[in-house]
Amino acid sequence: MNAIVALCHFCELHGPRTLFCTEVLHAPLPQGDGNEDSPGQGEQAEEEEGGIQMSSRMRAHSPAEGASVESSSPGPKKSDMCEVCPGREGPIFFGDEQHGFVFSHTFFIKDSLARGFQRWYSIITIMMDRIYLINSWPFLLGKVRGIIDELQGKALKVFEAEQFGCPQRAQRMNTAFTPFLHQRNGNAARSLTSLTSDDNLWACLHTSFAWLLKACGSRLTEKLLEGAPTEDTLVQMEKLADLEEESESWDNSEAEEEEKAPVLPEGTEGRELTQGPAESSSLSGCGSWQPRKLPVFKSLRHMRQVLGAPSFRMLAWHVLMGNQVIWKSGDVDLVQSAFEVLRTMLPVGCVRIIPYSSQYEEAYRCNFLGLSPHVQIPPHVLSSEFAVIVEVHTAARSTLHPVGCEDDQSLSKYEFVVTSGSPVAADRVGPTILNKIEAALTNQNLSVDVVDQCLVCLKEEWMNKVKVLFKFTKVDSRPKEDTQKLLSILGASEEDNVKLLKFWMTGLSKTYKSHLMSTVRSPTASESRN
Amino acid sequence: MAPTLLQKLFNKRGSSGSSAAASAQGRAPKEGPAFSWSCSEFDLNEIRLIVYQDCDRRGRQVLFDSKAVQKIEEVTAQKTEDVPIKISAKCCQGSSSVSSSSSSSISSHSSSGGSSHHAKEQLPKYQYTRPASDVNMLGEMMFGSVAMSYKGSTLKIHYIRSPPQLMISKVFSARMGSFCGSTNNLQDSFEYINQDPNLGKLNTNQNSLGPCRTGSNLAHSTPVDMPSRGQNEDRDSGIARSASLSSLLITPFPSPSSSTSSSSSYQRRWLRSQTTSLENGIIPRRSTDETFSLAEETCSSNPAMVRRKKIAISIIFSLCEKEEAQRNFQDFFFSHFPLFESHMNRLKSAIEKAMISCRKIAESSLRVQFYVSRLMEALGEFRGTIWNLYSVPRIAEPVWLTMMSGTLEKNQLCQRFLKEFTLLIEQINKNQFFAALLTAVLTYHLAWVPTVMPVDHPPIKAFSEKRTSQSVNMLAKTHPYNPLWAQLGDLYGAIGSPVRLTRTVVVGKQKDLVQRILYVLTYFLRCSELQENQLTWSGNHGEGDQVLNGSKIITALEKGEVEESEYVVITVRNEPALVPPILPPTAAERHNPWPAGFPESPEGTDSRDLGLKPDKEANRRPEQGSEACSTGCQGPASDASWKPQNAFCGDEKNKEAPQDGSSRLPSCEVLGAGMKMDQQAVCELLKVEMPTRLPDRSVAWPCPDRHLREKPSLEKVTFQIGSFASPESDFESRMKKMEERVKACGPSLEAREAADVAQDPQVSRSPFKPGFQENVCCPQNRPSEGDEGESDKGFAEDRGSRNDTAADTAGQLSHAADLGTASHGTAGTGGRRLEAARGLYVKAAEGPVLEPVAPRCVQRGPGLVAGANIPCGDDNKKANFRTEGDIPRNESSDSALGDSDDEACASAMLDLGHGGDRTGGSLEVELPLPRSQSISTQNVRNFGRSLLAGYCPTYMPDLVLHGTGSDEKLKQCLVADLVHTVHHPVLDEPIAEAVCIIADTDKWSVQVATSQRKVTDNMKLGQDVLVSSQVSSLLQSILQLYKLHLPADFCIMHLEDRLQEMYLKSKMLSEYLRGHTRVHVKELGVVLGIESNDLPLLTAIASTHSPYVAQILL
Repeated sequence: MNAIVALCHFCELHGPRTLFCTEVLHAPLPQGDGNEDSPGQGEQAEEEEGGIQMSSRMRAHSPAEGASVESSSPGPKKSDMCEVCPGREGPIFFGDEQHGFVFSHTFFIKDSLARGFQRWYSIITIMMDRIYLINSWPFLLGKVRGIIDELQGKALKVFEAEQFGCPQRAQRMNTAFTPFLHQRNGNAARSLTSLTSDDNLWACLHTSFAWLLKACGSRLTEKLLEGAPTEDTLVQMEKLADLEEESESWDNSEAEEEEKAPVLPEGTEGRELTQGPAESSSLSGCGSWQPRKLPVFKSLRHMRQVLGAPSFRMLAWHVLMGNQVIWKSGDVDLVQSAFEVLRTMLPVGCVRIIPYSSQYEEAYRCNFLGLSPHVQIPPHVLSSEFAVIVEVHTAARSTLHPVGCEDDQSLSKYEFVVTSGSPVAADRVGPTILNKIEAALTNQNLSVDVVDQCLVCLKEEWMNKVKVLFKFTKVDSRPKEDTQKLLSILGASEEDNVKLLKFWMTGLSKTYKSHLMSTVRSPTASESRN
Repeated sequence: MAPTLLQKLFNKRGSSGSSAAASAQGRAPKEGPAFSWSCSEFDLNEIRLIVYQDCDRRGRQVLFDSKAVQKIEEVTAQKTEDVPIKISAKCCQGSSSVSSSSSSSISSHSSSGGSSHHAKEQLPKYQYTRPASDVNMLGEMMFGSVAMSYKGSTLKIHYIRSPPQLMISKVFSARMGSFCGSTNNLQDSFEYINQDPNLGKLNTNQNSLGPCRTGSNLAHSTPVDMPSRGQNEDRDSGIARSASLSSLLITPFPSPSSSTSSSSSYQRRWLRSQTTSLENGIIPRRSTDETFSLAEETCSSNPAMVRRKKIAISIIFSLCEKEEAQRNFQDFFFSHFPLFESHMNRLKSAIEKAMISCRKIAESSLRVQFYVSRLMEALGEFRGTIWNLYSVPRIAEPVWLTMMSGTLEKNQLCQRFLKEFTLLIEQINKNQFFAALLTAVLTYHLAWVPTVMPVDHPPIKAFSEKRTSQSVNMLAKTHPYNPLWAQLGDLYGAIGSPVRLTRTVVVGKQKDLVQRILYVLTYFLRCSELQENQLTWSGNHGEGDQVLNGSKIITALEKGEVEESEYVVITVRNEPALVPPILPPTAAERHNPWPAGFPESPEGTDSRDLGLKPDKEANRRPEQGSEACSTGCQGPASDASWKPQNAFCGDEKNKEAPQDGSSRLPSCEVLGAGMKMDQQAVCELLKVEMPTRLPDRSVAWPCPDRHLREKPSLEKVTFQIGSFASPESDFESRMKKMEERVKACGPSLEAREAADVAQDPQVSRSPFKPGFQENVCCPQNRPSEGDEGESDKGFAEDRGSRNDTAADTAGQLSHAADLGTASHGTAGTGGRRLEAARGLYVKAAEGPVLEPVAPRCVQRGPGLVAGANIPCGDDNKKANFRTEGDIPRNESSDSALGDSDDEACASAMLDLGHGGDRTGGSLEVELPLPRSQSISTQNVRNFGRSLLAGYCPTYMPDLVLHGTGSDEKLKQCLVADLVHTVHHPVLDEPIAEAVCIIADTDKWSVQVATSQRKVTDNMKLGQDVLVSSQVSSLLQSILQLYKLHLPADFCIMHLEDRLQEMYLKSKMLSEYLRGHTRVHVKELGVVLGIESNDLPLLTAIASTHSPYVAQILL
């Protein structure tokens, strides 16, 4: 709790003053330096949780320096005990924005030597947050009252014992009034430790006050919900977990490592996973991974400029539909960079990359495949409509693409040929998302960051549709007609969109899928509503 | 069908609809978790208003006391003067009639500005008599120590015990115009009244303060046509404020994890924690220029002439004598204080106005008449509002909060909600009404946004169950903030930038429909749920134990004295309030293990209750994965005598300091915990282990309780429940249980404990009860005692040798524990050997888990008895008891009190210190806090439950959500309410704009009224809402999915996904706006899929995560 708890005394000679005060020190402050300049002794206890320290100090100051000490440090003002409480013993709340707010409980401690046989104390709690302090009134009242009761109980025992041994009242009545004695009695202020006959009183008060601060601070806690992670995040998590498992197993069997290494180079995988879901900008990821070189393709927009709009559209189409994308080039960096850029169009779960291989890999193993120029691609792949091949040739200067590459030294020496078994008809509408992506890439007003954010939105939007479709078809196994209805509700009834949804379904996280499967199995979920 | 369902929804707990008022009044018992405060005991007339002034020269004067006001008719009827005067009951009975009538009269008056004619004709006749006798005392309390020089306002709350009253007062410094002392004429008028022989004696207070009347006649020259005090509109147009506020938001506070996705909630809370922190001293959070204005705005105040004057306004609530009712009201009062304060501020403004305008009335009797009736009206309104607030029907199960609280019937809840939701989409989306309403709600009540912001960590549970924010949880631990404030901000949607405070009112004659809408909206009006945690340090509350306010309640059935009657004995056991410190050991202490803090030690040990809690630890031990560690950890702790631990501390400190180079004194538990392990490690270990075991509790290592029960902490309350044994079949078994419990309280405790240990090691145990001490005195302590002196003497060498060799017997225990010896037995043996050798009463790790408890107790004996019997060791400094005439005095030369206290303290510190190597030098002692256990219960006394109301008889100003039958009162009050909200925000932070969403189901219109824009059209309350196409497509797809019979929980998941989409779109928009000063709507539409009608919504969402957005668009 952001508060100070203090024990105050109303001294008959010096007026109200603070005897003991416990405050909370939170982590950002350097530890333990709070007490060095304080005149008294202090005790500190560190709490395990959250690096919170409760620090108490005795306030030992002569009346003369009292004012300055108090004004320089947070703590009760002198006036705190001037508040009037009916019956004098009881709770009061008071304060203002300037000086903070105080919950105070005044009480008497029996003292056989004091005037009226009692001394006036108060336990106060100071906070800046009046709402919390007022809200804690019932709690504080209970706890503080408890502490007071025990203090009073102790003091009463001492008092009674003393009275038994040496009845002050009688003595005072019998003794003729002498100024000396009177003064002596009035002056002979005894410490609270002797009034309660508890040498550990301060330690005890410290613990109690610290406890009070802790208990009052944690009295109310919030349960605040946050959103579910995106599918991309989930998939990344899962991959990371798999990777850890894998690396464990690698330790055990060296042989396996050899087999797997070319397929999933650790560097690639690690890099993929470090990318945050929000910043789908592959550029940053690439940069950190390859500090030696700038990425060849800077963005989708850049790639679109390099390839030319029609080629890019064909390529993107295949990427979105989950067809195999094969890049043939001698330049490994170029291929990897291309994949880094292209993958941003897909949900993380849909991306399976083999960045560079010396032989053709089947489509089920990867939808992004990098090959060296000499590798033979099987003819059925070449003619397939489910594959697109980008061949990167070193070209003469004259055949360069005219747009956007003038300053691009790394790309200027290449020309790109995008081919597919069955070229996409130019008039075909294509998946909605492709059109939106293209629109975003075309509009130069939109910065790269906006485009990135736009991609995130589009992907999530379509993943949400995918989720519904998955639930509908895979979990609940609804009939075809219903599915058709659903697709039109989702605004995805066109053939290309359906294809896209089906491919993207493979990218759903295991967590999500298993969740849906388990809820359908649970009895409560199967209850149908009527 | 529908009505029954609705009845279920709304009347489930009998707190809604038209029956609500009646039921509220008739119902005494407080109901279950969903609650409403019962008002039967709450007497409106018992709200009293006192206005006081304190002037440099004239001293204190009562300016108003509602207790001294009588209606004229009553006065004539009732002639006796001394009978306590009551205000006409008519004036404040009932909720709707009062507030509406009084407010209407208020508004009519305030618009007229107040002329004497007007007053003469319309005002009811009041008579102001002598203030009540307690008024002087109350004045003392109100002003107390408020310094005359302080410019701000001071807030106070007093509790008056008899008669029970709660007094809340505010003291303002008065801001006077050039007509200084112009309230004097009011005062004079009162005096005039009081001098009237018909009206009783003069008030002595006022009388004695009479002489200064110089300024009184000046008042007549006040210009009459002055416009009334404008509400500072220009000064705080909101934008400037919000700009500064958002810049505040951007200021780089060293946020530990600003990367988390729920960063906006996080930031908000972190900021709150920082601004209310006391660590850097008291820094005023905002300048308080809240003054009491006695001058009209236009009169420039002349600083030279301003005299110091304070005005105090005080509201006194008389509390019911019945404890239950009193507690109810106090609960309400303290938990809803911001609302009370806000209304008090309203009252203050009304008083200001009354004072200013009454000055214009020349004739003093008229003036008083005017003044008094104005104040009575304002008070009447205050009373009405408070009563309404207290009694308004609440929505029993707000959807979002109920879902969050993880009820078992969650699926049903989803279905119920979705059914209502889709019904509304289908039926009332004519003219896009529902879509418009939802658009407005999502735009202004923004707290839903953080609940859909994607996180970057996987969910723990199901998808429909979002996870609680860990970062915010951590923040609450490390930098506590005010969760109430956070919740209130969430509810009002005040989390964007600029900060807007929003309420929603649904108006309509069809109650059913309105209630339906309200119910559905409670899913979208989101806030955090509050939990109440009770921290205990001594008690091991068992799973089944009831805990109330930190005290444990034990119920038992007992045979009554009369034959055949049974009593349920409810025992309330309080945790001692003074928490015993776990002191580091000292040499002195070794001689005198029970230091002077235990004055009765010579008298015997019987009064000492060692709240021994070790059993729990012992029980838990086998559960823990890491045996080795737990052996070390919990062995000593489980022995529950604090003394051995202290001894250990000493050893450890000496041992460890050279090894680790750490001067920090580890806590006792740590020491117990296998010595070499540092604190961090142990804590971590336990943190890892415990949560899985006891999800509801924080790590609990009980601290040994050496505390004395000086007073019996057992309070018994006896209720009789039926006097004859019932023939019910399960009665016997119940009785058996009861008997067991009774036994548990009695002396045969161990048996049960042992049984418990055997049966259910997981159950945490109740603390030991008194009665166990009988076992304490056992012969085993003899050897220990005998050895003690010797071991103490040899301690120094002992230590040395241990440091070097660790072969010493004494070292063996630590050694054993050190190595984390896997077997309990070994450690135990080591411990016992040590005990025998050194007499340190250590019994380390208890051996086998199932070791019977009785012997354990015996073994505990030594520590106890030895401790008790050795108080007068050789160097025992202080006799615990003073002998006759030998009362020690700490006399000192300069400050008797201070020095004596300090002296004593210093000596105490020295005592503490010189066991270690700390003699004299550093006087800082570290004490570990006792381990705590926390029991969480749902807190229902929070805003989330109380500000979402049902169908109310009339419009209400504070509620976040409510429905009402007609907009009549709404039209009257709305503008003033909004303005008031901006000027006196309930939120304890400046706000830029107050907004009210008004959905009218009769006219099918949704309008947004704000404090910023003036509506020119008189017919309209605010601006019509633009329907967002995002929202309407969301509604449509949910409806369609529902119709396709997708399960309810999946539909809700989809709904959340769609809301998340909106969030992501807002991210995109904010990114877009970063580079643009103008929005090209076409671009947004074509490329980004954002239409112009989505813009207000998306911008509002964006303002929660990107404060700059609002600034660009403004």
